[in-house]
Amino acid sequence: MTRNSPRLGRIPSILTFSLAAFVLAAACGGGGGQQNSGGGFKGTKKVGYSGALTGQSALYGKAVSQTLKLAMDDLNAKGGVNGYKMEPVIYDDGTTVDKATANFRELILQDNVQAAFGPVTSAQCQATSPIAKQNKTLFLSATCNSYQLSTEPDLINPYFTSVVPNTYMEGTAAGRFVAKLGSKRIFIVSPKYLFGVSETNAFVASLKRANPSAQIVNPESTWYVPFPTNPRWDSTINAIQSFKPDLIYTNIFAADEINFVQQAQQVDPDFFKKYPFVDLSSVDELRALGNAYPLGMHLYMRAPFFAINNQRMNDFVKRYKERFNEEPSDWAVLDYDAAMMWGQAANAAKSFDADKVIKQIVGHSFQSLRGYSFTIRAGDQQADVGETIGTTADSGGKYKFPILKDAQNLKGSDLIMPKQLMQELRDGKCEKDGNPTTTDFALCPSWKQG
Amino acid sequence: MSGGQLLLFVVGGLSNAAYLFIVAAGLSLVFGALRVINMAHGSLYMIAAFVTGVVANQLGLTLGFWGGLVVAVIVTGLVGALIEVVVLRRVYGEEHLVQLLATYALTLVIAGVVRTVFGANYRTVKPPAAINFSVTLAGNSYAAYSFFMIGAAVVIGTGVYILMYRTTLGRNIRAAVSDPELLSASGVNVARLYTVVFVMGAALAALGGAIVAPSQAVNASMDTDVLVLAFAISVIGGLGSIIGSLVGALIVGEVLSFGVQNQYTNPYAIAFVFIIMVIVLTIRPWGLFGKAEQT
Repeated sequence: MTRNSPRLGRIPSILTFSLAAFVLAAACGGGGGQQNSGGGFKGTKKVGYSGALTGQSALYGKAVSQTLKLAMDDLNAKGGVNGYKMEPVIYDDGTTVDKATANFRELILQDNVQAAFGPVTSAQCQATSPIAKQNKTLFLSATCNSYQLSTEPDLINPYFTSVVPNTYMEGTAAGRFVAKLGSKRIFIVSPKYLFGVSETNAFVASLKRANPSAQIVNPESTWYVPFPTNPRWDSTINAIQSFKPDLIYTNIFAADEINFVQQAQQVDPDFFKKYPFVDLSSVDELRALGNAYPLGMHLYMRAPFFAINNQRMNDFVKRYKERFNEEPSDWAVLDYDAAMMWGQAANAAKSFDADKVIKQIVGHSFQSLRGYSFTIRAGDQQADVGETIGTTADSGGKYKFPILKDAQNLKGSDLIMPKQLMQELRDGKCEKDGNPTTTDFALCPSWKQG
Repeated sequence: MSGGQLLLFVVGGLSNAAYLFIVAAGLSLVFGALRVINMAHGSLYMIAAFVTGVVANQLGLTLGFWGGLVVAVIVTGLVGALIEVVVLRRVYGEEHLVQLLATYALTLVIAGVVRTVFGANYRTVKPPAAINFSVTLAGNSYAAYSFFMIGAAVVIGTGVYILMYRTTLGRNIRAAVSDPELLSASGVNVARLYTVVFVMGAALAALGGAIVAPSQAVNASMDTDVLVLAFAISVIGGLGSIIGSLVGALIVGEVLSFGVQNQYTNPYAIAFVFIIMVIVLTIRPWGLFGKAEQT
């Protein structure tokens, strides 16, 4: 047997290469769609999704992928879109920005998709929305939701539309809710990227307006934790114990939320009784932790099926469960709404042309699984969709995870950003020293005037 | 910062360091003996975490975790043996680039298999009942499980050290590093020795994966998450050195623990780890406890 005996001096370059190779290789896309036009259709057209099938937000990508298959089948069962059979093309982006960008280019330039569903994180949407704009492709956002995506002058995309409550709406909902709870000492923990900063700023602004005496106990520079890789939460848990807040406000999600909850409960089984939290959550996190999810926590959720009772939702849940052997998460509900909205608009436009389809979306109303119809308004092209807020409680054996008791489905019209504020953001009037990366609605003249 | 707070962050850093050390020690052991940078090391860690999850949830709270740990080490060890015999034996004599590509290809294959077998959903594992309680020190609560992780790292590290420096197997492994031909001439089956070393490395990855499972969401991206930090630890401590892995893990664990929560260092906490790595590479390319090989 012969073996290499390399000089150890070469090791640094080998390691550098290996790490670089690992990162570069991880940027390669995968998967692809197949052409398969069925009988009675003019042919097959595609819609694309670059989603997190692996990585930090893998749960969400799985739900979206499943629901897109269901939605396309539903559209096809009704004759397809403009006579064409629709087929989803789904690529994994590993919850990374680079891979999402590469996937988007492939979806648009090689797969020729008629519309693209936005990735999970706002950082990914920030990078991919300009690609859709450049190539005149509809960008349907049902998961990423930073309001900057539709108001920041450098990011404005006429083909962007959102059916998910944006960070202004969610932060406002959470801020008002915490103000009502009357908590005085609040600890903040949030992921360090566009979404976390955007939503946390909205929460703080809303809270301070509704309850000026509320105090954020930890310094602003410690609000944010590394994203997406943060497997150990010891520092945050320790800091919470040190500050002893009345309440934790957080918008960490997916693996981060699960790790944080697990590790905090190991530190102290009563940790969340002492320090209850208000968190953005979804059915996915509830399901992953199951009975280990602490009860009595205040969650705001985008579309929890168990808190929304209407015929369309019930039928959707039944069919989704039959097909995928699990209840639909919030992401499945939202992306189904987005897919149906696009199908309806493209049929009304009698075209796949993005300019024609977007005219059939903006200013129009669409039925939602969430039990109401929503309207996409002009300007930020944001849907007036609501948020569900409630407190975790045992489901009484109905599900293997907690549900919300006293759930309130907040109205989108009560949460949506005022038009004047939206316009000031779009006009670039809400930036520090004219720097577009500092866009924050709390800097807008109309917000400052109260 | 009070004494109590200081203790909180020190213990938090030690918990970080504990599982990272176990994983990095395996990476370092394999490199030290085989001169292979095993990109699939994180994949072995991930397999073990999933196996622990499945077995632990089947067996229940009392025995579940322990049963899961044992089965995870066995399964991962067998996967390691398969990898060594089927893939690595064919690339020992090749350039490092070939070895890297081969082990990277394995990460993709294993990731695909794990997703197919275990699915995309996150899994959670409950700690064993006997160590699922909290400990109060200086007015603050600590997870007993964190101390278990720290203790396990000490025991495993000591075991590996004794094995390497106090047993015939360890002597043979060290001899194989310096002159495999001579060792072979003295009657030792070097090919089998390499398999044993790789299985030991896989077992360390498995122990890391199994031990971390009750405190983290078990998911299909655990492999890359741990691999980057394990590499940083190995580079800082010195590839091939178990003591180096220990020191590297302590540095990384404490830097992350103190760095994230301090308001001035928070934005740079992760960057600090890699800044330290770059400084070590610049000043001492073979790491703090590694040895520069002679030509």
